[in-house]
Parts: sequence; structure tokens; C-alpha cells
Amino acid sequence: MMDSATIDLLVAEATLLSPRLRRVRLLAADGSRLPPAAPGAHITLMLPGGSGARPLRNSYTLVVADPERGYELIVRRAERSRGGSHHIHDRLAPGDVITASVPHNLFALHSQARKHLLIGGGIGVTPLLSFVTRLRETGARFELHQIASPAETGVFAQLLAARAGERIHIHAGRRDFDSAALLAAQPLGTHVYTCGPAALMDDVIAAATALGWPSSHVHREDFGAAGGEPFMLRLARSGIEIAVADDQTMLEAIEAAGVDTPSLCRGGACGVCLVPVREGTPEHRDHFLSAAERDAGCLVMPCVSRSSSALLVLDI
Amino acid sequence: MSNRPRYAPLALFSNARAHLLVSDRADLPAAGFAPGCTAADFAERWLVVMQPRVLPRPFDAAGEQRFRSASHLLAALGHRLAAETMGLRLYALGSEQFVWDVARVAHAAGMGAEEMHLFACGRPERRVWCVHCRTINPGVTTTLVACAGCGAMLGVRDHFSRTHNTWMGVQCDAEVPGEVPAIADLPA
Amino acid sequence: MATRFKPDETFRDDFRYANSPAAILRFPFPFGEDVYMYGVNIEPHTRAGSSGAFAVAFDVDEHYVAECAERAQALALEPGRCQVLDHMREAEWDTLELIMESLAADYPDLFVLDRHGDDWTWTNRPLGLHQAFRFGDATTLPHPPFEYIVRQAQGDFTLQDQRDGTLYIDGGITTTPADWTLAFDIGMTFHQWHGPVPLAHQAGVFDRALQYLMRVRYGHPARRLNWTMTINPRLDTSPENYPLWGPDRASLTADTIATRLFLRVELQSFFRLPRSNALLFGIRTYLASLDELTRVPKWGRRLHRVMRDLHPDIAEYKGLTRYRDLLVAYLAQFDDGAPTAPGIAPDIAALPD
Repeated sequence: MMDSATIDLLVAEATLLSPRLRRVRLLAADGSRLPPAAPGAHITLMLPGGSGARPLRNSYTLVVADPERGYELIVRRAERSRGGSHHIHDRLAPGDVITASVPHNLFALHSQARKHLLIGGGIGVTPLLSFVTRLRETGARFELHQIASPAETGVFAQLLAARAGERIHIHAGRRDFDSAALLAAQPLGTHVYTCGPAALMDDVIAAATALGWPSSHVHREDFGAAGGEPFMLRLARSGIEIAVADDQTMLEAIEAAGVDTPSLCRGGACGVCLVPVREGTPEHRDHFLSAAERDAGCLVMPCVSRSSSALLVLDI
Repeated sequence: MSNRPRYAPLALFSNARAHLLVSDRADLPAAGFAPGCTAADFAERWLVVMQPRVLPRPFDAAGEQRFRSASHLLAALGHRLAAETMGLRLYALGSEQFVWDVARVAHAAGMGAEEMHLFACGRPERRVWCVHCRTINPGVTTTLVACAGCGAMLGVRDHFSRTHNTWMGVQCDAEVPGEVPAIADLPA
Repeated sequence: MATRFKPDETFRDDFRYANSPAAILRFPFPFGEDVYMYGVNIEPHTRAGSSGAFAVAFDVDEHYVAECAERAQALALEPGRCQVLDHMREAEWDTLELIMESLAADYPDLFVLDRHGDDWTWTNRPLGLHQAFRFGDATTLPHPPFEYIVRQAQGDFTLQDQRDGTLYIDGGITTTPADWTLAFDIGMTFHQWHGPVPLAHQAGVFDRALQYLMRVRYGHPARRLNWTMTINPRLDTSPENYPLWGPDRASLTADTIATRLFLRVELQSFFRLPRSNALLFGIRTYLASLDELTRVPKWGRRLHRVMRDLHPDIAEYKGLTRYRDLLVAYLAQFDDGAPTAPGIAPDIAALPD
């Protein structure tokens, strides 16, 4: 368990729910139990990039995360994509094996909520589906509003049919949905969770804020900014040049180049990996440097931080 | 060496639908309000007048309501919050014990720290929880107190539990019985 | 692993306790340098590390059976030492699953876990336990799930709910605490329950530690070492029972200090729990007397230097002030001024005779 960073998953089933929605069920490739996960968790799949390109890493919500019956994802075929959703729709088949990260959760239910208000748009319904399962089990108060394009209301009605009731509402399009009226009517102690197109989430958050909801009670799905723009790194003393890719940390890139540099927590907190900067502009993501030190730009923590400039030169 | 709560004088939250100010006093000290802010700025004010004949209307959104005691006010507050909608801000001004009793009622209703503002005033007085026997010793104004439950001479530590609304008391002469530090008034 | 358990050891009253040479050599000595100061000394809890104590998720050593008996006794005297708030029920089951899986994987000769759906069977050979139960159904266990499993693990444990940009200590067990109590601290935030620690707040240590801990991911646990000193191998140095153990601090003499003063090291581990998304903190306590530790020449030298130069506020907070002079005077004999290698490892394979 301590070493489990990735799992190999076997595609057990892949079915189309609609022309643009595909449901995939995954089991452990070696037949073992899968790690459980909290509602709102996601996994990151390593998918083949098109023709010789680097593999893609795409994250998908776990609609279901049962250690024995498997993981269930629902993937929308994106019009513009690097190829991840296209691969899942067009090429993925039962029997395929994919490598995935263990589950991670950046969108969890709040333990002190007296009521949970769930607002989803399109494929953003997936984490909300995982919420509904848990909330029904615990008998918590909740309400779900799904905004679907008029063409897809039937699909979502069917998807939500098993969990339907007075608490589930499907709206055909944004115009059918009055977020302000809904938010204004919520009892004290309600938490709102929204996931979907940015415009929907921004609208819900703006409306809630205007009505006096505190930020602690407003939650939006966010897969997190783990990677960033690729950049060139030069180690001044050895002259070694390293290309830091968008999905690896600076520290990982340095280590992959065979260079030894101290590190401890690998999470931006302890300061052990701190290195001096000779040229370029660091993009700080740590929790160690003071505001003044960040502005001065003479130090950087490679375990989490990156570069805003195309080239960053370190004095190591 | 402390987790002592720090209190800032009250000012109206921006971006709120409604404001309710509650106090365990009848007179609200000016020091409880930030510069430019007065009690009149709060649309609803609940006060305690310590007499049994008043009849408050806790669901009326009009000016001042008077309660018979802090307990009377807190009971009504629970019912009021249960009937409220999102967007309310709650302000508590009074003794330290009172403001954290208000916070307890508010948390039970699902309110978070961003929706309330507490200001403790009046003479420093602590409820001290004897860690040895779990007796709560109320109204402590000094750094030492003999526990009313087990008799231990307790040093009042600067460690406060918002959940229990008590300060921690630990025997001050456990290592050398009788070697008791000098007693002092609690810091303001 | 061939662990010879010593079930008759005691951690109160008559204090029958000693570390074997192997236990001394694997002791998680906390000082990697000749001077000690607070820092965010958190690192990934991987199997690497200079002590066997780091090689597993939850360390089971020769004191395991005796420590479990000590815990059972502490809970019989004060059941309130174990408490979990209502909203942490999922985290209880997470903890049970994590500890059972880990012990069964790391010590297959001692622990066995069989699972068929939700029907689980757990075997704990050292304690002679065999339990069939339904995962998720507390009525099928003799104790609530968190209490059930921590009664079979060494060290204290706490459960943290992550919300509102901080961690809330919303459950746990404290029968081996270094002078703190869950009974009082339950429900506090990370900064509130660390309130009493001196100096560290100004240095921003807790701000950074909190940021790190909130980002601990499932499958990537972390750990750090903490230390203090205890007179006698007493695990239960709780504030509740301070009237009982407090007098020990004034009772040390030059003749007794070697065998009665113990370095108390906490191996703190931090695990993200999958079903609840809560954080489990393990607080595993190791005790070794000065007499035992100074058998390692490097540790003898380093202990003298650390204790001699320790910041007085830190000494005060850790309860050392009353006997500090005695301690430094005793340790001086082990410090010949020779340089010590960095790092915590003993740097010897066997204790010198």
C-alpha cells in the first residue's frame, strides 16, 4: 500500500449511453481489489498520444468506486481534444489494459453541511452522481439540479432515473434554470457544489456570493494545477540542459537527467530542495519562501515550482 | 504559547443579506464596534435585560428585542437559525463564555466562521476545565484556582477549547507538591 | 521476521521494560545533527530509511503484545481516551481497513486478512484473536471499528477532517500521549491544537506543515520524528494523570538517571484515507533509556551536544528544565569531542561490549 502510486486497470465493459457519452467499467488487471475512494474522487488515466506523441494524462471522475465491482467512468467525446476522449470512445475496448493513478479527491462533501445543493452541467454531473449515492446512504438532505442541452435531457433523465425523486431536477438549457432563485431559497447551513462548463460554475458562484453565501459553503470541481507549461532548464555549473515537460516537476526532470540534488518533503513545505536562480523568472508554487523572497526571484523550490520564462538557469 | 482567541471590534460584513447582533448585555460598549460603526448599523439587535417580564419576538426583523437571560436568548437563537436562509451574518458581543455559546448554536445550524463575528469584552473571566477530574470551574479570574471537584491547585493554561468553551486547568504543583507559583490576575 | 515478543513488560507501576540490542540499533534516533531546532521535517513515508521502523506502514516490534495489554488497561480505567465524532464514521472503517491491510501485508506470519465482498475474517496471532465480521456493520465487531483496530496497534492515532482550508482533529485515541489530551483538544483546528508549542509559530512551521499535510495523497503517506523525555518507561504521560507521573521529574538523581531517564521518540505518520478523504495520524512511541542509547557511541556524543545547547524555551516546553543540568552533566562522559556523522543512523552493526 505504501508504494501504490499507479494501478493497471482492465476494461471490463464499455457502452455508449448516447452518441457522445460512453460509460466504462474498469477492474484491476491482476484481479485484486481496487482501492476505495470518497465521493468526488477522480483517477488519471495514461492514454496513448496520437502517432508517437507522449502519452496523455486525462483525469476522470469515479462515478462508482467499488473495490470488487470496479470503477465506473462516464466520458464525453470532446470536439477539440488532444485525443484522450477520442481514444476512449473510438478505440478503447473490453480486454484493454490502461495504467491509472490511484484515486485522488479535490472535490469532497463537507462534513458540516445541513443540506447539500448539487448543480451540474453536462458531463459535470459525474461527481454529483457519486455524491448522490453517498448522500442517499447516509440519509443527508440534498437536491440535485442538472442543466442539460435540450437534446440531452433524455440521456441524463435516464442516467439519473435510478436515483430520481423529488430531489432531482433536470433543466433543458441554462435559460430554464434560475440559479439566483434557487440559491436564495436555501436554508442556513446549505453547501452548494457545482461542476460543469466554466460559465455555469462562474454564474452559480457569482449568484451565491451576491446573495451572501460565504466562500466556505461554495464548492467547485477543480482538477488542480499539477503540471504547467514546459520550459528549458539549465544547470549552470555542469552546463546540463534539461527539457521540463508539462506533466513532470522540475525536481523530477533534474533527477531523470541523473543529477543528484537534495530533497525531503517533495511538497513545497520543508525548504530542503531550495536552489539559487541565476537567470529566468521562477513561477513559485511553494509554501516556504516569503513574499519578499518570491519577488526577488533568486531562489526556487524545484519540487513544486516551475518557470514563467522559457529558460530558467539554476546555480547548481 | 497560546491558542487564545483574538477579538476584533465589530463591523458590518459586506455582501450579506441580513445581519443579527446578539449580546448578553443591555448596554453595548462603544469599544465593541470598529471606528465608524455603531450598534444602530445592525438592523436587528438582541439584548439581555435580566428581568423576567419581557416578551421578545425573535422572528420579527425590527430593531431591538429584549431577552430575560443569556439562556433565554440562546434558546430563541437556535429556533431562529433553524428557520433562516443563507446570507445571514451573526454578531456576538459580550462575555467570552457567551460569545462562544453563540458560536456553538451557530455551528449546530451549519454556519461557518465566515458568517459570524465574535467580540468578547468585560472583565477577564474563564471557565476552567480540570483535566484530572473533568470538573468545570466557572468564573475564574486568576491564574490559579483550587478545583471544586478534586481539590487540585490548577494552573490556568493559555489553551482554550472553542468546542467545550473552557480553558485547560492542570495541577500546578504536581512535580513538587506545595511548590505553587505566585497567583496573578488573568491577563486582560 | 522473527520477533520475540515480551508479553510481561509493563509501562506503569513496576515498569518491567528493556530494549534488546536489536531494538536499540533500530531505535528511530531523532537527531541528525548536533543541534536541534524545530522545522518542517516531514518526508515521504517510503520503505527507505535507516531504521527498520521506517520499513513498514505500522511498525510491530518486540513490545507489541505488552503495549496492547497496556492500552487495554488504560481504556478499562478511562474509556473516554478513545473518542470519534459522529461525522467521522466512514474514517473509522478506513482506519480499520488500512491497518488490517498493512499489518497483513507487512507481517504475513503474524496477521491474516481474508475478504469476500464485505465478509471479512481477521486473524491476529500475537494477540490470539480471530474475528469474522461484516465490513461497514459495526454490530458485528466487539468494539466500534476505530477502537477495535487501534487496540491491536502500537501508538496513538488521530483522525482529521479536512475542511475550510484546515484540518480538524475530530477523533482518535490517546493512551500513550506526551502530555496532551484528545478529551480537551477534540474539535480543534491544526493551529489551535498546536497552540501550546513555543517558537514554532513564529517561524511559520505550522503554516507550512499544514499546507503539506492537506496535500497528502492516498498511497503517498508521509512521516516525521518528534521527541521528548520521560522518567521511567511510562507510555501514559497524559495530562489527566500528571499528578501521578509529575513527581517523577523531581526524583532523578545522578545515580538513577542512566536507567530511569528515557528518550521518548514519536514516529508520526500521515495517511490519506480513501473513503472518507480524512487524514489518519499515527503517533508511534519509542522509549529507550540513556543507558541503552549511549551504548551507541555516535548517539552518546550527539545527545550531549543537543541537550547542552537546547533552546531554553524548547527545554521548558518538553518538561526538561528541572533535570536538565543533571542530564547534561551525565552525558558529558560520552562526548570526547570527536566529530559525528550527519544523519540519525547508529553507524554500527552491533553494540560494542
